[in-house]
Amino acid sequence: MTALRCPRTFEAEAMRDGRLVGVERARFERHLAACPACSHEARALESVAEALRVLPERTPDELHVRRERTRLLAAFDGALVQPERRKAARAWSYGLGAAALAFTGALVSWRAQPAVHLAKASGAVVRASGAAVWSEHRDAGRERVVIEQGTLFIHVEHPSVVEHLVVALPDGELEDVGTTFTVTAAEGHTTLVMVREGSVVLRLRGRLPVAIRAGYTWTANTEPTPLSAPAGLTPAPAPAFPLVAAPADPVGSTLPRFTRTAPRSDEPSDASAAFRAAMAAFDGGDSRDAAARFSRFVVEHPRDPRAEDAAYLRVVALFRAGAGTDMKEAAERYLRRYPNGFRRAEVERMSAR
Amino acid sequence: MIRRAILSSGTRAPEATSDPAILRRLAEGELDALGELYDRYHAYVRRFLTHATSDADDVDDLVHATFLTAAQCAARYDGRPSCRPWLIGIAAQLLRRRRRAFGTFLAVAASLRNHRAAAFDPRPALQARSDVERALSRLSEAKRATLLLAEVEGLSCPEIAAALGVPIGTVWTRLHTARRELRALLEENDGP
Repeated sequence: MTALRCPRTFEAEAMRDGRLVGVERARFERHLAACPACSHEARALESVAEALRVLPERTPDELHVRRERTRLLAAFDGALVQPERRKAARAWSYGLGAAALAFTGALVSWRAQPAVHLAKASGAVVRASGAAVWSEHRDAGRERVVIEQGTLFIHVEHPSVVEHLVVALPDGELEDVGTTFTVTAAEGHTTLVMVREGSVVLRLRGRLPVAIRAGYTWTANTEPTPLSAPAGLTPAPAPAFPLVAAPADPVGSTLPRFTRTAPRSDEPSDASAAFRAAMAAFDGGDSRDAAARFSRFVVEHPRDPRAEDAAYLRVVALFRAGAGTDMKEAAERYLRRYPNGFRRAEVERMSAR
Repeated sequence: MIRRAILSSGTRAPEATSDPAILRRLAEGELDALGELYDRYHAYVRRFLTHATSDADDVDDLVHATFLTAAQCAARYDGRPSCRPWLIGIAAQLLRRRRRAFGTFLAVAASLRNHRAAAFDPRPALQARSDVERALSRLSEAKRATLLLAEVEGLSCPEIAAALGVPIGTVWTRLHTARRELRALLEENDGP
């Protein structure tokens, strides 16, 4: 067979790549319609492109996608963004302004002392009410603020995501995971924690740890709401995506874990009911029952967005129940299934005990 | 000053469906926005990287880096209705940097050991592939990425040049040689 030849064949590719424009393109298009060699070339180029467009896709399995998604969001959440100096200064001034407003509001609301003094700890700015009794310490590379009485407004600049500020409270401690929050103590008790930015973990003696996210306020006298939020946690103001702080965290927390309170419309209602029932058992202190319910949830709803939470909470429930062997088995299962899970570090710690 | 990612709050509608809206939220540091962007485009980015790298082991890391880079650059997004070409462009740039960074190292390692690292040996994977995939994998990574950007992702030559940081003439040359080599390889397969 004799190959078709035309001195203008190269223009077929030039047209495809946008190198022919205007009059030249119009001329070649007319030529193309009449020239078998050039139209053959144009078809050949298109067939190569078509072959590339239909290359088989090796889609990763759903679990892999979820793991990668979680890894991405965790990395983004923990990323330290270093804006330009000017932006930083502007952001800092805005932050201070907002902080001052928030603090003023807090003072008015809680009838705290109006006088304020500012102290700059190495990585944190602490604003204290005039009546506040507090001190600042640093040991083993960890910053510790001790509050005995009054209100502190704290803004933290983290040199690294792993170095957290700890606020020692009269009845527990508060670990800063985020950046801006207010804490009030009175008569030997913590009475209020309000998080403006980032998140904190509140650990009070004899009570379950509570992770408090930006926009939420924890107060000591609020009645527990076991099905949706840990004791005393109320959103203020209500966000567009209602978020609930993670429940029990018996061995400390690295990253707080959040889930949506309202079931999404595409979630099967039985999954939501099952999760709520498991949470109710968990919050009610029936750890064995909670563990069984979370286990069932993971088996029956493996693709539900709360499956990872359920797997983690099962480990916690078994930990609380003192079921060491079962807890270790559940922990191993969690780690196998979610090697990059949000709660990996905590599960490993529990498992090692 | 350090700023941490925040979750969305306030009165914003929960479903901001347009890409520019998602990127605006992402620029403000909203974690949810990154999740939405990932859900929408991770498959496209992965597909491009998988074919462009011949299924290298680090595709996951490259996808990850693409979205993190997008998050950092979200404020500079130009507002086009679809950000897919923009994301693919970021992926292509990361691919180029990776090639530059590791190219020398791999060449030295290969010459020292007189063979290529096992992770980069394409033979086992190639056996399970179609003719087109096998042929594509035999192109250089630069040509392969350029060809995929043009023919699969639909980027124009100026867009490819911008994404890869090369002159437009280089893009045209790469496209021409890539097509010629690919056609020759496919004809080889069709031959007796």
